[in-house]
Amino acid sequence: MASLACPRCLRRSLQDLETTATAIRPQRAAFSTSPSLSANPPKKKAVVAKPSTRQGSALRLTKNTRATNTRPPAVGERKELRKKVVLSNTNALEVLGLNDLSKENLSSDALHALEAKVMGFGDTSVDRLRALKAFKPTQGWNLFRRPASLVRKETTHLLGDIEWVEAGQGSRTVRKVLYGERGSGKSVLQLQALAMASLKGWFVIHIPEAMDLTIAHTSYQPVTTPGGPTRYAQAHFACKLLRNIRDANNHLLSNLRISGEHDIPGQLKPGASLLGLVDVGVKEPARAWPVWQILWEELTLPSAQSKGGPRPPIMFTMDGIDHIMRLSAYLNAEAQPIHAHDLLLPRHFIELLSGRETLPNGGMVLGAVSESNRAASHTLDHALARNEAIQNELTPPAWDPWVKYDKNVQDAMEGVGVQRLQGLSKEEARGIMEYYARSGLIRKAVTSGLISEAWTLAGGGIIGEIEKGTVKARV
Amino acid sequence: MESSTIRRGVRRAIAACQNTPKRRTLHQSARCLATPAQGEGVKAAAPIRFRSDRNQFSKGRPRAQLIEEGDGGSFRRGRDGRDGENRILKNIRIVPASPSYFTATPKMTDDMLHLSQLLRRYQTLPVLPPGEAPRVAWKTRQQYKIEVLEPVRAKDYNMILTLLKRLNYIHPSLIPAEVTQTLEKYKRLVQPHLNKPKPIEIDQYGRAKAVGKRKTSTAAVFLVEGDGQCLINNKSLTNYFGRLHDRESALWGLKATERLDKYNVWALVRGGGLTGQADAIALGVGKALLAHEPDLKPALRKAGVLTRDPRRVERKKPGKLKARKMPAWVKR
Repeated sequence: MASLACPRCLRRSLQDLETTATAIRPQRAAFSTSPSLSANPPKKKAVVAKPSTRQGSALRLTKNTRATNTRPPAVGERKELRKKVVLSNTNALEVLGLNDLSKENLSSDALHALEAKVMGFGDTSVDRLRALKAFKPTQGWNLFRRPASLVRKETTHLLGDIEWVEAGQGSRTVRKVLYGERGSGKSVLQLQALAMASLKGWFVIHIPEAMDLTIAHTSYQPVTTPGGPTRYAQAHFACKLLRNIRDANNHLLSNLRISGEHDIPGQLKPGASLLGLVDVGVKEPARAWPVWQILWEELTLPSAQSKGGPRPPIMFTMDGIDHIMRLSAYLNAEAQPIHAHDLLLPRHFIELLSGRETLPNGGMVLGAVSESNRAASHTLDHALARNEAIQNELTPPAWDPWVKYDKNVQDAMEGVGVQRLQGLSKEEARGIMEYYARSGLIRKAVTSGLISEAWTLAGGGIIGEIEKGTVKARV
Repeated sequence: MESSTIRRGVRRAIAACQNTPKRRTLHQSARCLATPAQGEGVKAAAPIRFRSDRNQFSKGRPRAQLIEEGDGGSFRRGRDGRDGENRILKNIRIVPASPSYFTATPKMTDDMLHLSQLLRRYQTLPVLPPGEAPRVAWKTRQQYKIEVLEPVRAKDYNMILTLLKRLNYIHPSLIPAEVTQTLEKYKRLVQPHLNKPKPIEIDQYGRAKAVGKRKTSTAAVFLVEGDGQCLINNKSLTNYFGRLHDRESALWGLKATERLDKYNVWALVRGGGLTGQADAIALGVGKALLAHEPDLKPALRKAGVLTRDPRRVERKKPGKLKARKMPAWVKR
């Protein structure tokens, strides 16, 4: 028998081996391990169909035959193409005088003066944001020469929050949920927050799609707490997240040292840098969750107590939190759906968001609701409406006694700040449309008539719709 | 001999062809309606004085003669009173009151003659500029036919209509009562053009409300001066219409007149699909905008947001799969 191994690549040979092996092996009882010694059973007389005179039901023309010389896409290739983030378009015009967000203009007053103007992201910022997977393929970054975003009123407010946290010397935390219409700029505002925090020297963590945590596409394992309920850790996701964090916060991690005593798996010295710690988790998914816990313990050590250098404030953001405000697609041992708050990683975010776990060095927990792939969570909807009313000192809508609410979500959202994103003002719309024009994406003159038209047709200045209507629409 | 006849005929034909304008005028004058001279109505002939001579109207010797059987017949004696009458009847020639009595359609002909007489009489009165005559729904030919009980041809009735329309053009301040009365006779009982829609008014809050419809959608639109905000069924425009095209068509009246940033729209829309709803809103916005700025009428008319599109789904018919679609042809 000829060898099945392919001389060129092992992979294909293995595949061949698998497929041919099953095809060749004679049928026998699955329980027996002994080789079948008996002769092959006599073959049944095959009923040979009479070759029909017809050539086929369909008319065969040369046009009908498909070209088969192209190879089919590999596993995951199309998804990769779909998720690819392109941040530059060499055909777009370079916008002259486009300033970057930098440490110099990162104060409330400076940024307030820059409102309704477009600011670019510097190279380091772009690298860090890219590492965090904060750019999304649908946000139209591929239309412009380099990534830039509009400074809107809410951006300045967010910077005000960051400054407020910093002024508190570690005692203050901002916990917020962004919501609003589809395309109103929630994710980009989160991205701006990450960029600003990163420039301020904060430790940034971002979960770009909460959906990935709950749709049962990543591994999970039960973690029993003594006397407590069963929780579930998602090792592979934690591993990926640690890699993102390591790439985005490399400069911080390499400077911070492990200060406490930990049962660290692997051969890490007590005074090693946190980068080494994270690397352990990145390398082995099985250790990712313990590493995450240790990392968190280290980061939240009060700066006064830590021997490994002052701990920075933390910016922890998550996009699409509506997906973790409901039952997940995972099943427990009783084949009942697991609540997303019982998954340890989402739970950690929820603990921080609800304020049950504190950030001793200060920081910001920022969630954003996704509207384009909205998970049904009526408790979250009601909680958002309630919190906004409370925030604006209005009478909050009561919990309906006839509706079954999710207790976990109710508790988690108690006292969380909410910010509703609405459309741009006309000034901001002018700023972004002038940027489009200077990038060569609008050929017409940007007049007040054109701006107000785009503003109205975009449902009152919803920025995603402005972009769709003016830049992406093909006339 | 033959050749000369042919030559003459050809010559005549050429002459006739060359003098076409002349011929036409001649022809036209011939087609004019013969109406009595001015001032004289249609009159009956003068009364005839009868004599005892039976052959009073004959010229020369009668071709046949009635021979009477003696004067003292029992038949005549019995009815003395009618004697004279009968005698007259024998001599009488009954003349109809209308000169068009012997046409196939005397009433219609009379009407036509009367109208043309009126027109001839008042031809010199000043008329309204073209297109500004009061809109009148004239009786249809069917209605007129039933009224006069005569077979009226479409061509003839069109001639009557032409006369009526011309008379209707006489300036309303100078139109004689006679003409008005005559025209009344030809008007339909219900005049749809007199049903004027109520003008849209702007209420105390500055809102103009208008209703627009398209297919099965109905939209109530409130238009108020503002800065270009728009709410449809309490949702924003982008939330309600996912397609950019629908958004544009809903506000087309404002966009076409460059008023997008000057008004706020608040609309309630029911029924139908999204495209129908968008067009219904467009019609409502157009009408409401007209209430705010009547001068925009030509621009809005040009933008196509003032006219209701009357098309509906065509009903399904028996024997067909849909309104028109026939089932597939099957060979038995």
